[in-house]
Amino acid sequence: MKKTMTGVLVLLMAMLSLAACGGNDKPNPTAAPAAPTKTNEVKATEAPSAEPKISGDFEIQYFVGGYGDGWWKEVIGEFSAMYPELNIKESAGSQINEQMKPRWIQGNPPDVVYIDGAGSNETQMVLDDQLMDITEWIKGAKNVDGEPLVDGLIAPPQDYDGKHYTIPLVFGSWGTFYDQKLFTDKGWQVPTDWDSFLAVSEQIKAAGTHPYIHTGKYPYYIVGGLLNSGFVAANGYDPQILKDQEAAKENSFNNDAVRSTLNKLVDMRDKGFFDNASFGMNHTDSQMLFLQHNDAMIPNGLWLENEMSKDVPEGFKFGFIPSVMQEAGGKYVAIPYTSNIAIAKKAKNPEAAKAFIEFIFTKQAAVRWAELTGALMNVKADLESSGASDVVKTAMNYFNGGDTIVAPVFKLSADMEQAENDATIALLQGTITPDEFIDRMEKAAAKERK
Amino acid sequence: MISKLKTSHIWSRRLFIISFLLPTLALFALFTVYPLIQGLYLSFFDWSGGSETMNFIGLDNYRELLADDIIPIALKNDYFLVFWKVILIMLFAVFFAVALTRLKLKEYGFYRIVFFFPNIISVVVIGVMWSFIYNPTLGFLNKFLSLFTSSPVDTNWLGSPKLAIWSLLPPSVWAGIGFYMLLIIASILAIPSTLYEAASIDGASQWRQFTTITMPLVWEQFKTSVIHIVITTLNGSFIIVKLMTEGGPDNQTQVLGYYLYQMGFKQFHLSYGATIGVLILIVSLITTLILHRVLSRETIEM
Amino acid sequence: MNETKAKVPKQLLSRSLIRFLLLLWTVLVLYPVLWTFLTSLKDNVQVMQGKPWDLPTVLRFENYGNVWSRAHFGDYFLNSIIVTAGSIALCLLLGATTAYVLARYNFKGRGVLYFVYVASMMIPTTLGLIPLFFLLSDLHLSNSLFGLILVYSVGTIGILPFAIFFLVGFYKSLPKELEEAATIDGSTYYGIFFRIMLPLSKPGLITVGIMNTLTVWNEYIMATVLINDPEKYTVPVGIAIMQAEMQYRTEWGPLFAGLAISMIPVIIIYMIYQRQITGGLTVGALKG
Repeated sequence: MKKTMTGVLVLLMAMLSLAACGGNDKPNPTAAPAAPTKTNEVKATEAPSAEPKISGDFEIQYFVGGYGDGWWKEVIGEFSAMYPELNIKESAGSQINEQMKPRWIQGNPPDVVYIDGAGSNETQMVLDDQLMDITEWIKGAKNVDGEPLVDGLIAPPQDYDGKHYTIPLVFGSWGTFYDQKLFTDKGWQVPTDWDSFLAVSEQIKAAGTHPYIHTGKYPYYIVGGLLNSGFVAANGYDPQILKDQEAAKENSFNNDAVRSTLNKLVDMRDKGFFDNASFGMNHTDSQMLFLQHNDAMIPNGLWLENEMSKDVPEGFKFGFIPSVMQEAGGKYVAIPYTSNIAIAKKAKNPEAAKAFIEFIFTKQAAVRWAELTGALMNVKADLESSGASDVVKTAMNYFNGGDTIVAPVFKLSADMEQAENDATIALLQGTITPDEFIDRMEKAAAKERK
Repeated sequence: MISKLKTSHIWSRRLFIISFLLPTLALFALFTVYPLIQGLYLSFFDWSGGSETMNFIGLDNYRELLADDIIPIALKNDYFLVFWKVILIMLFAVFFAVALTRLKLKEYGFYRIVFFFPNIISVVVIGVMWSFIYNPTLGFLNKFLSLFTSSPVDTNWLGSPKLAIWSLLPPSVWAGIGFYMLLIIASILAIPSTLYEAASIDGASQWRQFTTITMPLVWEQFKTSVIHIVITTLNGSFIIVKLMTEGGPDNQTQVLGYYLYQMGFKQFHLSYGATIGVLILIVSLITTLILHRVLSRETIEM
Repeated sequence: MNETKAKVPKQLLSRSLIRFLLLLWTVLVLYPVLWTFLTSLKDNVQVMQGKPWDLPTVLRFENYGNVWSRAHFGDYFLNSIIVTAGSIALCLLLGATTAYVLARYNFKGRGVLYFVYVASMMIPTTLGLIPLFFLLSDLHLSNSLFGLILVYSVGTIGILPFAIFFLVGFYKSLPKELEEAATIDGSTYYGIFFRIMLPLSKPGLITVGIMNTLTVWNEYIMATVLINDPEKYTVPVGIAIMQAEMQYRTEWGPLFAGLAISMIPVIIIYMIYQRQITGGLTVGALKG
């Protein structure tokens, strides 16, 4: 059976590489900025005492995509200096998930895995019982600076029925993006709620620009960037609705919050605010049109600025709004996305794995991450003086501010995500009604519960 | 002496036959038959494709298949493509074949070479190329059409629920004609020219010659071609769909081949994917048998 | 008949019309190919903002060098050559031997065997895909070019059944007396095949060989699934990966250069052998 598993895994890996061609879960930003400067190196502190000796073999698997591998090489190098008895092996690359799959199926995984990139899905790994249950450990875990690990995180470890298996390493938020310069030049007011959003969209449309474009090929952009925050806002700002959807609970879709949000979407559609070219378009194409001012706003994630860095025109200044569907005077809702790191259930060196996790979740590492990748690590840190991109700093201000609700990280199952993607496109094209959307999602949830 | 020769003759003959057949058969059994059976086997389990264990669930996958809303859509799309591809490809193939053989054109050789070009290009290349042609803002098609209209054409060919499946036809047809054209040409060339000469002397028009001489005599090849198109479409649409629409928007271009891949590898239901595979096989077999019956005529011996 | 007089201008008209249609189709066939080559020489800006039928303002030949080395197309090319050559050689060997015996020798089960082979052409590639993995991995041949060669030559993509189907027709068309004459001369069965039959079947072998080469060179599904080491990718896989990565880097020129590189060898082979292919198809057609 095991051999068979290997075979199928190899197949799966390869097919997942096809999935890579088709569309990733979270397209990673491309350019990693300039060569790392050695100014703020994490100091190698003494290994915490009264611990079992960290030695032996240690293997870490990490995907290399838009974030590059500069940060990884740096922290791993420092970790190695701290534990010289450790024999560290790095399994890394852009196809690493596919390449490592057979080992996971065979029950011979690496110790630590950074779950990101094409072919990866942390929920599936939990379902397939591949990750270590860290619920108890994480409660008391401290990073190498002596701070409780969990306290320093922006987004807490994901909750799987009360258990934890992963820790978010990269943090970001979905939202609506626009060009500050364009809005200023045209005298358009940046929307702060639903009414102002509708108003400025009318203005934009009258000026001959499409108000809103999205990538029709990957509907989860608009679901993440527009819909989910709408659900929460309409649900009295209680993000529990998203967790209910994740848990495939009955009526997690069949309720007023979802219905009113979908109606808002229909409103946008009927007013002609969506660029018709969105359908069937991939993300970079839609982003290019956004950069060229064909369209004024686009739902996206905080990787946007880095991803398009080569094509950003002169003077373009990225603006970010976490959500637009809230009522006037209401709060913003930030829908986060995360890329997670986890310890394999069958890790051969779990002590080293835990030590590694404790090592990297520090403020200094977070600052280095921002400098090396332009994105946000999942650790509260002062980024003002760092090299993080402007839009990221803006986003941080929202998160740290008082009038933004940061929803918990959640992820629908692959089946439900597919159903929601299909339904969203159908709704946007007018082939189904909001009630039919809700119907489909309830059916998908019911199937999930079986 | 003779009987001894005969016996050793028989055995050496047998040995020869076996030695020539066995290696092929063994490898074939291993790499074609065995996976087929395994695929069938897998469809009785529940396996995501990632975990170390899989559960036996009997016919549950098949029950789910029958209840799956998307399967009828995929089937409809598969047959849509089959129907139109057969008609359009055979129409063009026969037309070109006849034009190139019966009209005695000088440039015959040139056309024969060039018309086969689309077939020799990889489907991947074709998919990428045509995706770009269909691009609403950058693509060739809209820019070309815009030459004739007052405002720029920006039809979203691959993103429109109604147009998407139709948009998949041109690349498939375009890429298919050449091969079948050559087959038909070959069989037309096999028809003795005396038949045509006699008909001309009798005063029969080109069209009459076509319907009474050409078509009946190439019918076998015609039938084989149709069946071949059907089989390759049911099996091969996967690539075109994957490259151009991924089944969207909202499953309007979903086909069985792509659905297998989506279920098996994007939604982590590998065993359900295998079940869909079995369905594809059954559908192919049934369709082929029906077509074989419907299209059979008496083979005309020359 | 009074049709004779009217025939001449009518025929002329329809001839011209047909000629026009043929020319039109030629344009439709050649244009995308030409456009691919044209675009491969353009830079990004021109692709995005210019018209598709514009000539490149600057000839960016470096797109080719770019895709060959940086995007590893050179490696993909080599891998494709190895895999294609290996698969075709093996397939022809196995196919010719089997087809010869099936065509010229009577024995029990001959019909059944032939039917099994031909029927197997109907097996959907995708169904066999999943279990082929089980298999290759069990044989420790996963992620290897040799494994891919085996899968291509005798697996569910169907080049073996096609070869057998075609060559049986071919062998059947050869005169029956050949074996008798050779036996009288004292030749062994093997001798007959290798010294007489095989050389005679060269045209058929070439036809089948070329057609199968096209199939294998362009094969995408199996290659993507069975090979996951980037160093071992074949050309179609490389193109698909480039197209996927394109979504991050928008480098149209090199992508089209890759498409062009993929097309060139196939076009060349076809141009050289196109007579044989049609010739072979004629024989096949007679027996089809």
